[in-house]
Amino acid sequence: MDLVTVNGLSKRYGGIVALSEAAFGARAGEVHALLGENGAGKSTFIQILSGAVQHDGGTILVDGQDYRPANPDAAQARGIAAVFQELSLIPDLSVEQNIWFRHEPRTWLGIVNRAEMRRKTLALLEKYDFPALRPEQELRRLTLAERQIVEIAKGLAKDPRILILDEATSALPAREAEWLLKLTRQLAAEGRLVIFISHRMAEVRAIADRLTIFRNGSTVAAHEAAAVSDDEIVTQMIGRHLDRLYPERVPTMTDRVALKVANLASGSRLSGVDFSLREGEVLGVGGLQGHGQRELFQALFGATKASGAIELWGRPAAIGNPRQALTGKDGIALVPEDRRGQGLLLTKSVRENLTLSVIKRFTENGLLSRQKEAALVKEMVDFLRIKAGTPEQLAGTLSGGNQQKVIFGKMLLTQARVLLLYDPTRGVDVGTKGEIFQLMRDLAAKGYAILFHSSDMPELVHVADRVLVMRNGRIAATLEGDHISEEEILRAAMLETRAA
Amino acid sequence: MSAFLARNRLIVLAYAGMVVLLLVTAMFSPGFLSVSNMRSTVVLAAFVGIVALGQTFVIIGGGIDLSVPWVLNSAAIVMALLCGGQDLPLVWVMPLLLAGGAFIGLVNGVGVAQFGVPPIIMTLATNVILQGLILVLTGGSPTPSAPALIQFLSVGRIGGFPVIALIWLALTLIATLLLSKAAFGRHLYALGTSATVAEFSGVPTARTTILTYIVSGLTAAFAGMLLTGYSGQAYLGMGDAYLFTSIAAVAIGGASILGGSGHYLGTVAGAMVLTILTGLLPALNLSSGALLVVYGAVILITVSIGSETFAGLGGRLRGRRA
Ligand SMILES: Nc1ncnc2c1ncn2[C@@H]1O[C@H](COP(=O)(O)OP(=O)(O)OP(=O)(O)O)[C@@H](O)[C@H]1O
Ligand SMILES: [Mg+2]
Repeated sequence: MDLVTVNGLSKRYGGIVALSEAAFGARAGEVHALLGENGAGKSTFIQILSGAVQHDGGTILVDGQDYRPANPDAAQARGIAAVFQELSLIPDLSVEQNIWFRHEPRTWLGIVNRAEMRRKTLALLEKYDFPALRPEQELRRLTLAERQIVEIAKGLAKDPRILILDEATSALPAREAEWLLKLTRQLAAEGRLVIFISHRMAEVRAIADRLTIFRNGSTVAAHEAAAVSDDEIVTQMIGRHLDRLYPERVPTMTDRVALKVANLASGSRLSGVDFSLREGEVLGVGGLQGHGQRELFQALFGATKASGAIELWGRPAAIGNPRQALTGKDGIALVPEDRRGQGLLLTKSVRENLTLSVIKRFTENGLLSRQKEAALVKEMVDFLRIKAGTPEQLAGTLSGGNQQKVIFGKMLLTQARVLLLYDPTRGVDVGTKGEIFQLMRDLAAKGYAILFHSSDMPELVHVADRVLVMRNGRIAATLEGDHISEEEILRAAMLETRAA
Repeated sequence: MSAFLARNRLIVLAYAGMVVLLLVTAMFSPGFLSVSNMRSTVVLAAFVGIVALGQTFVIIGGGIDLSVPWVLNSAAIVMALLCGGQDLPLVWVMPLLLAGGAFIGLVNGVGVAQFGVPPIIMTLATNVILQGLILVLTGGSPTPSAPALIQFLSVGRIGGFPVIALIWLALTLIATLLLSKAAFGRHLYALGTSATVAEFSGVPTARTTILTYIVSGLTAAFAGMLLTGYSGQAYLGMGDAYLFTSIAAVAIGGASILGGSGHYLGTVAGAMVLTILTGLLPALNLSSGALLVVYGAVILITVSIGSETFAGLGGRLRGRRA
């Protein structure tokens, strides 16, 4: 019998239909993938299951009994926990305090038993073979990936029968993502149900027993994973046939150097970085996570202090802050790593977010022209097919992938022609990923120069003209042509590490 | 229209509250709605409103300005001293003191934006320093009376309208243009919503922050001069009440005290509400102590309505994810 059975589930937000007549069934002991385009309703679905929001209509049965959790605590009482992204964690608390938040082990006096908490934390981390985490570390010091891992620990700390992972791998580097997949299998083997949401087909393939596909808030199909091809899945997800994910790599590179970096250094994370990025080129940046990729992008954008020489389009550029970086046609723009913390004003509208960097452009005699702004916003929303009720919808209420599109649009509206894309497809669905890669190639053909980091290595391999492999804050290798492959990237990243 | 109402629900609420309060007050003291009484209410509200203009900008940007009482007081006293009851010196004294207010704002802003001093500490410090300087300067002795011209600005009328109400109207217009129609406004709301996102978006965060404190210094100094005209004299402590009322007006007007939202149009209603309350309480035979209690309660209620909306929204956003 199914552990969870859902029928006719619906949820609307004002005029926006997030779910309508969604159905779902999953058994204990399986990994069940939930697939669908951006905005298909996946997160809404798991929010309902985990008690974060309440549904308008439909039934949910857990163990054959009616289930309608009023809040996350009620969901936990029935053994259901969801792994949310960074925002459910409290920056001022330590890793272990976050993991046990509101469920701290206590002494008979009711005081938090720190020794016990530490013991339980270490036991939990060991049992599931967690990547290095220090229980006492303050959360605000952690990277996005590390926070995601803490979030997973927090979910597991509740010892749930049903664990929901909503795009948990999207913020993780390859090795940690690999670990999470193994963990997922382990949990299923323990007889738990894992509901797994991801936009990476390879991951879904690697671990899912069964899968359910959502489109526009409804269930379009459910399959045994072994009985269905990638092609069928993608077609059902996006409602049309996707010829190819990666665009053809027509070289559009010219001899003109768009960005020249010499001896760039920043703190202990970045030292002696030299490279050139040419007009029309997509230059990949790879290597193991935490080897200076983040610092490189932030330093180029003026978001962290750095020394060294930067030339833009042949002229020395002094980039002291993002504002200087963004200025003018010779500027340099960034799609940042942390879309909620760095990229978007969650409580402001799609319109305000899109035009924030370029708002000056809509002023005449110092006064904003709403018409001009609205026209450009509409153009961008249509161009990127951002799924929002109206441009006035708050950015924080968009689906994850659509938030990412807004950030992309915001960057495109600046006039900068050197683009720094840090994991631009994080949380973006397959169809849109393909569109973004195509867009990158189109921009390159138009004379843009693109520096591109992805936590998903195949993207680098298939989209970049050249790949810089970083190791210990330096460029360990530059791969070109036939040498660009996952093996070569890994070899360059690791061999060098051993040699050092 | 309904979209406008939804987006500015708290501002609309502030005006609704103002109307209700007016009617209630009129019930207790029948003469309250008379033209002359409304006129004097608006005049009193204008002082609060003008000080709260700068405060609105600062709070939307995510800061707070605790230096308004003594910026106001300093401007009042220095003006009285420099003018010695004469109109003519006002020609240079007014610009000088406005510049002085702006300078204090600049110091506050630079401290906050460039040196990372928490706004509460920074502005509290300038407030205390100004207080000390003025005490040294006056030695506690009374100042000459206010020049006639400044008295005209604060109690005079043009065609039946109080001059200060017209000034307030003009300032409201300017503030509204800045917040709703200028790039500065967008930058300001972005800054108050998330300084990091604003920075990453190329918003001149430091300059915007500094500007808000400069505006606050300007409006506090301006209000100080006008208030001297109203009372006929400058005296020590005349700005003290404006610390609380300026912040309260902003909060009642629907701004989040955490920044990123609100509008000066809301603050205008907030200033009116506070002033009407001040008029209502004597009618109820309440003491000035009771007045403070009621004041406090009103703030608590309005701010918690505001923050409930905020918490509700925050909760909804927190529930959302990739
Ligand atoms: N609080 C809200 N207010 C308004 N609309 C909302 C809200 N929450 C969700 N929506 C809308 O519901 C729809 C479904 O969103 P949901 O987050 O469930 O999509 P998703 O399948 O998780 O997409 P993604 O793959 O991009 O994460 C979207 O169109 C979204 O804009
Ligand atoms: Mg989602």
